[in-house]
Amino acid sequence: MSELWGVLEEHLPEFSAGLWVTFRLVAASLLIAIGVGTAVAALRVAPLRWLNRIGGVYVETFRNVPLLVLLIIAFAGIRRAGIPIDPWVAGIASLGLYTAAYIAEALRSGVFAVGKGQIDAALSLGLSYPRTMRRIVLPQAFRTVIPALSSLVIAMIKNSAIVGASLVALPDLLKSARQVQADTAQTNEVFFWAAIGYLLLTVTATLGFRYLERTYAIKR
Amino acid sequence: MSYLFDPDNWEWLWTGNNFRFLLEGFAVNLQIAAIAIVLSFAVGLVLALMRISSRRLISFPVGVWVDVWRNLPLIFIILYLALAVPGSWRDAYGEAVPDFFPEALQDELVLGALLGLVLYNSAVLCEIMRSGIQSLDRGQREAAASLGLTYLQQMRFVVLPQGLRRMVPATVSQLITLNKDTTLVSIIAIQELVRHGNTVAATGFGVTVTAPILQVFIVVGLLFIAVNLALSRLSRRLEIRERERTGTKPTSVRGLEDQVALESDTTGR
Repeated sequence: MSELWGVLEEHLPEFSAGLWVTFRLVAASLLIAIGVGTAVAALRVAPLRWLNRIGGVYVETFRNVPLLVLLIIAFAGIRRAGIPIDPWVAGIASLGLYTAAYIAEALRSGVFAVGKGQIDAALSLGLSYPRTMRRIVLPQAFRTVIPALSSLVIAMIKNSAIVGASLVALPDLLKSARQVQADTAQTNEVFFWAAIGYLLLTVTATLGFRYLERTYAIKR
Repeated sequence: MSYLFDPDNWEWLWTGNNFRFLLEGFAVNLQIAAIAIVLSFAVGLVLALMRISSRRLISFPVGVWVDVWRNLPLIFIILYLALAVPGSWRDAYGEAVPDFFPEALQDELVLGALLGLVLYNSAVLCEIMRSGIQSLDRGQREAAASLGLTYLQQMRFVVLPQGLRRMVPATVSQLITLNKDTTLVSIIAIQELVRHGNTVAATGFGVTVTAPILQVFIVVGLLFIAVNLALSRLSRRLEIRERERTGTKPTSVRGLEDQVALESDTTGR
């Protein structure tokens, strides 16, 4: 038992630095995921067939390719092509674009839940289609899919470990833990504290979204 | 763009047996996924039945177990098991693995990978099954009980057939996730598609033909898209046929919001 606390006491700086890297990675990717996801969802419900197609291809591509493969393409692949991409940019872009596909699908179902009547009403009041989306449909769609977003953010926290494991220059929580493990050889203790770190993030996200859900969610 | 489509950068694909080598790697991924999904399904069903038990002494610890494994990154679990599984277990696996298993799975390292995949996915599937079962009307179970069916009979004939049918879309979507997650075992040095891709990119086999890593992994990604798209199409078709046969309507199941994607495909438009 004392060993357990000893590891934490001695290596707290490494663990907290790793946790902070993971947090920033997730936060930045989430911004991209929401932005791109909203745009793709708007494409998928647009009244033009070819726009739907583009959105569909995006979703099917990013949802069916492993994140690890995306990361290899985004970092090693692009570097090999002669563009010196930063590991942070590659990691955030991969995780963000990957999650965007899921967010787009969630939002699409949220848009359908808003109902055609409201869209027709807004259009007949003379609002343009983009304006209808922005003012009427998307705000409601977001509030409908808060539970789905919650699961996606948790999945994102977990997926951030893949980013850290595959990009050498990104010292996230898992990588810091592996470093401490290599130094101390106390596998169980080190991984226990890293697990606590991840659970801390996922539980915080769960509680945060539960609050959002209580305050803003639309029950259907 | 010119780099991407330059024919010189694609020549590796039809040089030597590069493409076959990639396919062989992919076969390992699919085999690992198949074994893991069967085991996870069995373990997950047991966990789900324990979790919905009315005895808190059973349901509470199982709930904690499931929540812990499901909220940890899979890669974390795999890396931990790679370090923590005792050597004697691995030896036992090496002895016990049947000869007809493909060569890549004979490797003793595979034990940690399979254990990790099953621990994680059984917890996720447990939650999917639990919400499928609990979305059933209570009356079904009560009616079955009042007809004099034992607990096992209630589950076997009334609850599970209906509850499990509701979770087919979510399960398929988890299967696709699992399929993608098999690439993670490359990190503990199991020779599968990602490793094979790296080998192709690193050597290029001929002296004159180099295989740029970008193009190699675009091919790898396309392989995954092909299989996963086929899987989701197949499941949708099966589901529609099943629905026509039984005359049931699609029911949305609460608690599966991250699986909403597949569901909306069947209910939207």
